[in-house]
Amino acid sequence: MAAINHPLGHPRRGLPLPIPGGRPNLWLVFAIFIAGVSALLPVLQNSLATSRGFDIQASERQEAQLIGEISLLEGEVASLTSITRIDRRAQEIGLLPVPDPIYVTVNEPGPAPAKLPSEYLPKSGAKPVPSSPWWKPLVGWLP
Amino acid sequence: MAQYRAHGTRRVWLPAAVFGLFAAVIGARLVHLQVLEHDYYAAKAKEELLGNDTIYARRGTILDRNGGVLATSVNTWDIYVSARAWKDEATAAKAAAELAPLLKTTPAALREIVATTESLDARVYHDLSYETGTDILKKNIPGVIAIANTSRINPEGDVAASVLGFTGTDNSGLAGIEAAYNEVLQGQPGRAIYERDTTGEPIPYGQHTVTQPKPGEDLVLTIDRVLQEMAEQYLADGMKEHKAKGGSIIVMDPMTGEILALATSPGLKFSTLEEDLAKGGDDALSLLRNRAVTDLYEPGSVMKIITAAAAIDAGVVTAGTTYYDTGVVYVEKVPLKNWDDASYGQQTMTGVLQNSINSGAVFMQEALGTRRFQEYLDAFGFGKPTGVDLQGEASGIFRRPEDEGYSPVDVATQSFGQSISVTPMQMMQAVAAAINGGNLITPHVVKARIKADGSRVDVSPQVVGRAISPQTSDTIRQMLGEVVSQDPDGWGRNPSRYTAGGKSGTANVPVWGTYDETQIVSFIGFAPLDSPKILVLVKLDENGDGKTGTVAGGPIFARFTDDALRYLSVRPEKGPSAVHR
Repeated sequence: MAAINHPLGHPRRGLPLPIPGGRPNLWLVFAIFIAGVSALLPVLQNSLATSRGFDIQASERQEAQLIGEISLLEGEVASLTSITRIDRRAQEIGLLPVPDPIYVTVNEPGPAPAKLPSEYLPKSGAKPVPSSPWWKPLVGWLP
Repeated sequence: MAQYRAHGTRRVWLPAAVFGLFAAVIGARLVHLQVLEHDYYAAKAKEELLGNDTIYARRGTILDRNGGVLATSVNTWDIYVSARAWKDEATAAKAAAELAPLLKTTPAALREIVATTESLDARVYHDLSYETGTDILKKNIPGVIAIANTSRINPEGDVAASVLGFTGTDNSGLAGIEAAYNEVLQGQPGRAIYERDTTGEPIPYGQHTVTQPKPGEDLVLTIDRVLQEMAEQYLADGMKEHKAKGGSIIVMDPMTGEILALATSPGLKFSTLEEDLAKGGDDALSLLRNRAVTDLYEPGSVMKIITAAAAIDAGVVTAGTTYYDTGVVYVEKVPLKNWDDASYGQQTMTGVLQNSINSGAVFMQEALGTRRFQEYLDAFGFGKPTGVDLQGEASGIFRRPEDEGYSPVDVATQSFGQSISVTPMQMMQAVAAAINGGNLITPHVVKARIKADGSRVDVSPQVVGRAISPQTSDTIRQMLGEVVSQDPDGWGRNPSRYTAGGKSGTANVPVWGTYDETQIVSFIGFAPLDSPKILVLVKLDENGDGKTGTVAGGPIFARFTDDALRYLSVRPEKGPSAVHR
């Protein structure tokens, strides 16, 4: 009778897996969890970076669009305030060239001069008080 | 047991040697490509992979002295097509059919541009309006790339065109203020670098680096757009009335050197710029220059203001000093006659200016002496650029004793404005010094710069020397007032509402050592007399009616001065509006 080689032992012998209902190996579970999280992290990071990049590009596009619209509006305002346009509009609404103005001398002080916008004035904020260093009170305790 | 050993025969080592050599050649070639030529091929690969576009910075706005916009930039698009993306016949046909109507062209014309271009991306439209470009972007047409650009607009039309100049397709200034202040206005361009696929389309999540452009600074000019338009209108009318081939009207604040208006003709016009430039030749080139600073002329009798100022300042004459005019004076036996061949008899120095007597000017020059007279010419800024912030300024020239071919006749004729070449701007600077208390001030057209952060840097008036004393300046002002008040009724050369001073000049055009029949006439004047607000030069070139500076230029000065000072809210000194209540 020929002998049959059973390298894995008896065919009915079970694999050494944890028995259901038995106590799970916590270390193994923890290791699987750590491995899983470690594998997911770069994917998550990459996904976040891509999403953020997309948002930035969208914002840049929006910014460029707004800048373009601002420049168009500025151009429009410039055209609307040109002398030719003002002259034409004045004629359309029936304005006439002013006759000789009459100059009147008034013995009263004139209006206060217009104030300059704050950005053109020298900075006059209060100077910051130099703070005492943290070690200064300690020196006082020395004999 | 027998053992067999392979023997190296020719059938073995010959193919082995051939294959070995082949492998060595391939290996050497690989080393050459991948090691020795690494940088070159890496750069080529990068060039293929990366798209690289310039993002032009927004060019600064040019404003007039009151904040009115003279030139500004609006966003536009440059439309490119990727030649690789349009290699496919069906894609190209469909994309061209979709794109062509938006660019107001035909699909065939678009495909022709793309087929004939040598670069990867073919520019099919320059400076497309912002709205249309945005529509194209929304349609997402295959192979179409829109790059942001800016375009220059001039809301005031042709007003001040010769002062402002223009920009080229790369947004660089080519003439006028646009060229002189190009570095300040143009800012710093940015760059967009992006990865693209084999069809040339940007890869959506590929590498995308944008260096943002830095916008240019805004410039506030000393020019007043209302006065500028007024000056251009007066010049056009004056040239038409007197059949002149060209001319200039310059308006300056004599106290600060600020140019309030600068009209020149012929000159640049935005409305016909493309056609004018397309003509080519000298006519096109002449558009690039501002004749008020580049062109020289002999000022004629206007120069007597300087001669009188020098002689009085040096103390060799006074306004009341008298001499006897016989109608001719001989210098080195050369007769120098008066402009009208008349003799005026006994005259004061004020009378010399009033009657524009050449012999009187020679009298003052001879009293000063050659050296001293020419030292005053130097002090008044003649023979060197004024330093005005416009391009291509000429120096002017006058002959000195050490120059070859000098004759004492030269310096004698210089006293009444011949044998000396000046630019209109030089004449303005010199006469401003004569009436403003004696300060030689650099004329300028830029009043301030506004940086991108909103901070403002003002340009201060620059006094570069003292030509004469304040007392002499007062005297000269009064003498020039006497010249204008000879015409009491107004608008001959006397403004009807303001006191003024001034002097006319008429000089023939020098041609090859002699004088042509054609003439250049001018009138330079200021008002009000005691505290001048404006100094105005009216110059007409080759006027066909042959009238003199007094008759042709004087009335233009007078009318312009009335209008300009009224616009500037200066209270009239004469006429019905001068009533005080």
